[in-house]
Amino acid sequence: MVLELQKPRPVWQIMFSTHHTDVGYLYTITGLTFLFMAGVLAMIIRTHLFFPGEGVLVSDSATFNRIFTVHGLTMLFLFALPVANGIGNILVPIMVRYKDMAYPKLNAIAFWMNPVGGALLWLGFADVSWVSYAPYSIIRAPGPAADMFIFGMKILGISSILSSINFVVTVLKCKHPDLSLRRVPLFAWSMLTVSLMTLIAMPTYAAALIMMLTDRLGLSGFFNPFAGGDPIAYLHLFWFTFHPEVYIFLLPAIGMMYEIIPRFSRKPLYSQASGVFAFVMLGIIGFASWGHHMYSTGMDFTTKVVFMIGTLAAVPASGMHVFNFLATMWGARIRFAAPMKFAVGGIALFFSAGAGGVLNSAMPLDFISHGTYWVVGHMHLFLTGTIGFGFVAMVYYMFPYITGRMYSEKWANVHFIGMFWGTVQVFFTQHLLGLEGMPRRIYDYPPEFTSWTQLNQIATVGAWILGASFAVFLASLIYYSAKGKPANMDDPWGLGGKYYYPVAAKNPHGGHSGY
Amino acid sequence: MGHDTAEWVFVAVVIAVLVYVGVDSWIVQKEVEDVPADAEVIKVTGQQWFWSFEHADGTKEISTLHLKKGHAYKFEIYSRDVMHSFNIPDWVVFEDAVPGHTNHAWFAPNEVGTYPIQCREYCGLLHYNMRGSLVVEDDKS
Amino acid sequence: MKSTSKQQMKTLIAVSIIALVALALVSQLHFAYAQLAQQENTKQYLNLRAEVWNLFFRMTTAAFTVGAIVSGTMIWLVWRFRESNPKNKAPTKWEHLEDPTAGSYEEEGH
Ligand code: HEM
Ligand SMILES: [Cu+2]
Ligand SMILES: [Cu+2]
Repeated sequence: MVLELQKPRPVWQIMFSTHHTDVGYLYTITGLTFLFMAGVLAMIIRTHLFFPGEGVLVSDSATFNRIFTVHGLTMLFLFALPVANGIGNILVPIMVRYKDMAYPKLNAIAFWMNPVGGALLWLGFADVSWVSYAPYSIIRAPGPAADMFIFGMKILGISSILSSINFVVTVLKCKHPDLSLRRVPLFAWSMLTVSLMTLIAMPTYAAALIMMLTDRLGLSGFFNPFAGGDPIAYLHLFWFTFHPEVYIFLLPAIGMMYEIIPRFSRKPLYSQASGVFAFVMLGIIGFASWGHHMYSTGMDFTTKVVFMIGTLAAVPASGMHVFNFLATMWGARIRFAAPMKFAVGGIALFFSAGAGGVLNSAMPLDFISHGTYWVVGHMHLFLTGTIGFGFVAMVYYMFPYITGRMYSEKWANVHFIGMFWGTVQVFFTQHLLGLEGMPRRIYDYPPEFTSWTQLNQIATVGAWILGASFAVFLASLIYYSAKGKPANMDDPWGLGGKYYYPVAAKNPHGGHSGY
Repeated sequence: MGHDTAEWVFVAVVIAVLVYVGVDSWIVQKEVEDVPADAEVIKVTGQQWFWSFEHADGTKEISTLHLKKGHAYKFEIYSRDVMHSFNIPDWVVFEDAVPGHTNHAWFAPNEVGTYPIQCREYCGLLHYNMRGSLVVEDDKS
Repeated sequence: MKSTSKQQMKTLIAVSIIALVALALVSQLHFAYAQLAQQENTKQYLNLRAEVWNLFFRMTTAAFTVGAIVSGTMIWLVWRFRESNPKNKAPTKWEHLEDPTAGSYEEEGH
C-alpha cells in the first residue's frame, strides 16, 4: 500500500485514504508543491532587488508587499509545517509500533484543511507581512485580502492543533507497551515535543486572529489605539506563539538528522538521553524568550534583560544537538550519500545561524540589526540552511522507499553544491546588508547607495544559484521517480544492517521482521 | 549516562560564552540608555509616509532635521497612524514609533554632515520611501 | 570509543579552552580601544555609536572564534571519517550488528 509507480494506484485512492502513510504522502507532496510556488515568489523578489530604481518584474510597491507576505506565509505554514507533518505521519506510528495514527479520520481532516487555508492565502494575496502587526493590519490593510488572510491562517492554525493532538496521543497513548518512552526514536520525540509546544502556543495566536478580525470589523478595539486598544498587546500575543513556533519549525528537521546521521555513520547515536533532554529543554525554555522580538517597541530595561536571559538560556540545548551529531560521526565510517551530505551541510549552517541568533539577543545590537536585512538573513539561515537541508535530506532518504526507485547520486550532488553555495551567498550577504542599514520589506532603494546595490546584487546571484539547484531537485524528483533504477529496498545505499524504519513504512501491514 | 567529559566541557564552554554575551550586553545597554540630563528634546512624528520634527523652541520641520554638533538630543517618538520605526543608521539611533505610546532615543552628534533617516518597520505602500535626512551643522552660537 | 579518539577528544578540549582564554583576552583589547577612543574624544557625552559597534565587534570575535573551532572540527570529522579515507577500510565494531545504529554506547560501554 504505497505510492509506487511500478504498481500504480489510482490517485483518488490515496487522496481519500486515512492511512497514515497515505496522509503522509499527501502532506509531503502538498508541502513540496508550495515550496516551489513560494520559491518562484522569492526569485521574483530577489531579481527585482537586483535593479534599484527600475521597477523590474514588479512595478509597484503594492504588489511587492503582497509578494513578500505570501512568500513568507507559504514557506512557513504551507511548506515547513506540512512537510514535517508528512514525514511525521509516515514514520511516527512505526517508530512507536502502532498500526496508524491515533485518530486516522482526524488526521485526514487536518490535512485537508491545508489546501483550503492555502487557497485563501493565495487568492487573497494580502499585504500585511507575515507578522501582520497591528494597527496596520486593522486600520489600513485593504480587504478582502486581509480578511482572507485571517481566515486562511485560522484554518491552518486549527489544522496544526488537530494534527498535534493526534501526534501527542499516538506517541503517549498508542506506543507499544514494550517500548519505553526513553527509547522512542528521536524523530518521534521531536514530533512529540513540537506537538506539545503547538498545543500551548497556537491557541494564543488563534485568539489574536479573532480579535484582529473583530477589530477590523469595528466591533472591538483590542489592538486599535484609535479605539482605546494597544498594538503592543498584539505583538505580545503574536510572539508568544511565534517564538516557540520557530522551534516548532526547527525541531522536526533536527529529528530527521537524528534518523539519518547514525544510519550513514553506521554507528549508534552518541547519546539518546542528551537528545531527549535537549528537545524537552528547548520546548520549555522556548517559551521564555518571545520578547526579544520587541526590544525596540519601548520595552523597559528590566523586561529586556529578562527576555535576553530567556533567549540565551535556550541556546545550550541547541548546542547539545550539534555536539550529539558531531560525536556520533566521531569514529564512524561515513558514507556520504545525498541524505548524509544534506544533513551535515544543515548542521554547519545551523551552527552559523545560531551564532547570529546569539548576537540578535544582545539588547544593544538591536539598534543595528532589528528590522534590517540582518534579521532576514538570520531567519533564512535557519529556515533554508537548517530546516530546508534537513527536509531535503529526508526526502532523498525516503525517495527509494516511496517510489521503489533510486534518485541519481550525481544530480543530488549538483543540487547539494548549488544549495549550499546559494544559501551561504544569499543569506550571509543579507547579514551584511543589515549592517549597512538596509531595512527589510522595502520595494526599492536609492541606486546611489552603492554598497546596498552591490550587496543586493551578490545576494541575488546567490538566490539564482539556489533557485537553479531547486530546479534540479524538482526535475530529478519527477524524472527518477519514473525512470530511476529500481532500488534495493532493503538497503538502498549499501550500508549493511537490516532494519530501517522506512522499510516498515513501505510495508505498513507487517511483512518486515525488524522488531 | 551517555554524557562523557567532552560533552560537559562543551556545554560549559557554551554557557561561559553566553554569560559573557549577557553580561557585556547588560553593561552596554545600561550605558546607552542613560540619557544626558541636558539633552534637548526633539519631537519626532511618523505617519504614512514621512517624518516630521518639532524642536524645543517650537520650530517644525518636515523630512529634513537640522541639529547642532556637540549637543545631545533626546527624541520623543510618536506615530499618527500605524507602527513605524525611527532610524538614523549612521548614528545607531533606532526606536519604534507606536501609536498611543511615546518612545525615546537619544544621541550626541560629534561630526557635521548629512545622514539618511529612514523607517525600519513595515508600514504599508510607501514604507520603502519613508526617507528623510539629518543635517548636523557646526554650532556657531 | 577507541583510545586514540579519546586522545583526540582531549586535544579538542584543550584547544577549546585555550581559544576561550584567548577570546577573553581579545575582548579586553577591544575594551581598551574603546576607552582610548573615549579619551581622545573631548566631548562630555557618551559616544553611543562607538559603544554599540564595539560591542558588536566583541561579540563577532566571540562568534567567529567558537565558529572556527566548531567548523574546524566538522571539516576534520568529515575528512577523517569518510569511508573513502584509507584509514577507514576496516568496518567499525558496530557493523557486525544486525543494525549498526540500534546499539547504544550506554550499554556497550565505550
Ligand atoms: C540559537 C537559537 C536562536 C536565537 C538565540 C534566536 C534569536 C533571535 C532573536 C533575538 C531574534 C530577533 C531579531 C530582531 O528582530 O532583532 C530572532 C528573530 C527571528 N528568528 Fe531567531 N533565534 C534562534 C533560533 C531561531 C530558529 C531555530 C528559527 C527558525 C526556525 C528562528 C527564526 C527567527 C525568525 C523567523 C525571526 C524573525 C522574525 C521576524 O521579525 O520576522 N530563530 N531570533
Ligand atoms: Cu524569536
Ligand atoms: Cu515604514
